[in-house]
Amino acid sequence: MSSILFVFSRPPHGSINAQEGLDALMMGSAFTTCSVLFVGNGLMQLVSGQFTDDLGTKNFSLSFGALKDYGVTRIACSEPDLVAWGLNKDDFFIEVEPLNAAGMQAFVQSHDKVLNF
Amino acid sequence: MIVHTINKVSALGLCDNLIGEDDKIILLEDGVYLGLQSRPFLVFAIRCDVDARGLSGLLAAQTKSIDYNDFVHLCAEADKVCSWF
Amino acid sequence: MNFAIVVHGAPYSSEACLSALKFARAALDSGHSINRVFFYHDGVHTANSLIAPPQDETAISEQWQEFGIGNNIELVACIASCLRRGVLDETEADRYEKSGSNLAPGFTISGLGQLIDASINADRVVTFGV
Repeated sequence: MSSILFVFSRPPHGSINAQEGLDALMMGSAFTTCSVLFVGNGLMQLVSGQFTDDLGTKNFSLSFGALKDYGVTRIACSEPDLVAWGLNKDDFFIEVEPLNAAGMQAFVQSHDKVLNF
Repeated sequence: MIVHTINKVSALGLCDNLIGEDDKIILLEDGVYLGLQSRPFLVFAIRCDVDARGLSGLLAAQTKSIDYNDFVHLCAEADKVCSWF
Repeated sequence: MNFAIVVHGAPYSSEACLSALKFARAALDSGHSINRVFFYHDGVHTANSLIAPPQDETAISEQWQEFGIGNNIELVACIASCLRRGVLDETEADRYEKSGSNLAPGFTISGLGQLIDASINADRVVTFGV
């Protein structure tokens, strides 16, 4: 069955798009092998300590903790973007595999389909 | 070979580390403005988007205008399509 | 080739909706088939029957309706995205006790499973984002 790579490039809360992207990933993982790659501003979805009560949006970041239970096999991020933002893996609330350019290209190649959000 | 579609100038920054040597780039919508810049490789730009923006005389030599039939053909030839926006 | 097409943008608010339609037409003209067109995020606004653009502007939603009905292509709008944005069929309008429904002809409302199903079964997936 086709494997799907979800690529997330949007930050959270500024629009519903990041949350709806995660909804699609969770649905995808119920059907087939799915992985996820965070690039650009998408890395911000993983930043620890998101508190949304005062803003009034849903803290959907809590759902990322369940990705492994949903069978999402690899959770990766762009290492160049991590460096560019001055972030490191410890700033994130889930374990993420940073990938360099060659690693990201191989990651994309290894999946049958790509869904960008 | 992967086809990467880019629909705005800022989206190039999302994917420039992911584009492999054999991959193909299709610029559409506001992404066609990237076609003004010289690159060491060929990029494709959707003609109706180029013309709508008055860019046909300004495209770099490496930017080739294509129509939607060509776009479909390139996607069919590729292993997969990545869309950047 | 069998294509799945994903549309994230609303008519007029972004070009995505129109670009996707041009791609879909070209795919059929080139002898390919379309598995399904899935409208997500603001793309579900395409399925709003109440859109009434000026006469001298492209009637994008209407053209999608004609394309879907005329070619027997499934145009699916994501239910969760639809509910958030006020695009309702009669069932959802009744369920949420809203004053009316507004799903355009040729469209159906369904879940994300349809996006995943199309992505798995099509040969190629092309997303028109915002």
